[in-house]
Amino acid sequence: METLAHLTGMSVVTIWTLLKVLLVFGFIMAVAPPYTWVERRGSAMMQDRIGPNRALLFGKWQILGLGHALADGIKFFFKEDIVPPHATKRLFWLAPLLAFVPALMGFAIIPFGRSFVYQGSMYHLSLLDPGNGMGMLYPLAIGAVAVYGILVAAWSSNNKWSILGGMRSSAQMVSYEIGLSLAVIAVFMKVGGYDPADIIKDQMAVGWFVWRQPLGFLVFFTCMFAESNRLPFDFAEGEAEIVAGFHTEFGSMKFGLLGLAEYAHMITASGLITTLYFGGWSVPFMPDAPVLLTILAFMVKLLFFMWVFVWVRWTLPRFRYDQLMFLGWKVMLPLSMANLIFNAWLMSRGG
Amino acid sequence: MFLIFALITILGALAMFQQKNVIVAGLCLVLTFFGVAGLFLVLANPVAAALQIIVYSGAIMVLVLFTIMLLNSHEEEPAIKARPIQRWVGALLIAIFGAFAFRIVAGSKALAAVNDKALPVEGMNLNRVGEELFANHLLGFEIIGLLLLAAMVGAVALTKKEL
Repeated sequence: METLAHLTGMSVVTIWTLLKVLLVFGFIMAVAPPYTWVERRGSAMMQDRIGPNRALLFGKWQILGLGHALADGIKFFFKEDIVPPHATKRLFWLAPLLAFVPALMGFAIIPFGRSFVYQGSMYHLSLLDPGNGMGMLYPLAIGAVAVYGILVAAWSSNNKWSILGGMRSSAQMVSYEIGLSLAVIAVFMKVGGYDPADIIKDQMAVGWFVWRQPLGFLVFFTCMFAESNRLPFDFAEGEAEIVAGFHTEFGSMKFGLLGLAEYAHMITASGLITTLYFGGWSVPFMPDAPVLLTILAFMVKLLFFMWVFVWVRWTLPRFRYDQLMFLGWKVMLPLSMANLIFNAWLMSRGG
Repeated sequence: MFLIFALITILGALAMFQQKNVIVAGLCLVLTFFGVAGLFLVLANPVAAALQIIVYSGAIMVLVLFTIMLLNSHEEEPAIKARPIQRWVGALLIAIFGAFAFRIVAGSKALAAVNDKALPVEGMNLNRVGEELFANHLLGFEIIGLLLLAAMVGAVALTKKEL
């Protein structure tokens, strides 16, 4: 690291930060295409069919249809980029970016391994160092901004179905955000801090939050599905009702970016669930595990929850829109409120 | 850093006034909020920055845009007629308010304290906000809670036809 710093004339801290940026964003970008493959093969597995297996790598190797992820990417790039004549041009260009950037940014706060000391200086394995004062407020803020991608995409398409789909899914995101925030606040209260590093440390000392606040976990988990617009809450689209919702008019790489944004959202959501309720990078029964093992533990938990997203999608039936709103406002919100007050009561009794 | 965020804030606000399209104007306002959040960050107050984004860009502006989208069509509405007098009065008012705001800020104790000695900058965090809120501003906090509750009940009463 020092030689690299010397060669490029940058400080070690700058290089370390750049390296982390590359690592995290590269990870998300690299995982998203295989994730689409997992989604398709997983759905095939659950529906007792074979799934995509036709794309051959270099015309030879089938490798369980993994070539499809690659082929999809190539196809997105080479498709004609059509902008409908009635669209609001500038916003139409902006919308995929507005959807994609927040989806990527959310991951920045999540620690993916134990901080370690190397040659007398501390290295943290998260893009935003602990103690930055934003803590877990940051993903909430970024999640709140993610609505704009959908709203702008819907409105700029100037298409009734798009606007209906965008309206639905942004209304859903806004309503589920409240239950989500209240569930997270209960965790903050228990920890006495809101930095992910503190939250993980507390879970290592006392126990994972799934066991300590199962109700809060349930609410958070459900709201995360709604936030990332996944089945059973995927009201952004509906073939029979509003075609493909807010991305009806998008083609080529614009559609690709919107799709990537959805997968990046799921990866970030899995990271948040892992950090808040499953001890983050902590390895069970090993208080001071080596750094690489903590990264591995985080990856295992993350990949598990990413799989859960696919699993739930093909297991639960879809809701109806009024049922979704009912669930959000009359079930999730009171539940997370009850969780908050119950925990406050426990704490007031010294628990 | 300060200059960048200040420019984002001011340009966003100016662009908002220039825009004839309501939705684009709303998005420009969101840009302004982001600039303000950045300014809070420069002032070592990440909590305020996060809350600025969550509350203003995340909740309020989304609802405003939502309503506009529900009500409005895609056409840009031309001004019915030019109103030069109002424009000049507006500019005059801005100048007066700006001058007074500048005087108040320039004469405030906090600014003098900043100039006096190089205070060690201590970043704000949620714990300190909470302590301050519940130790020194408890009455205000409770009153605001009551006010918000009243507003919420009022909103429900307005939208429900039969109670």
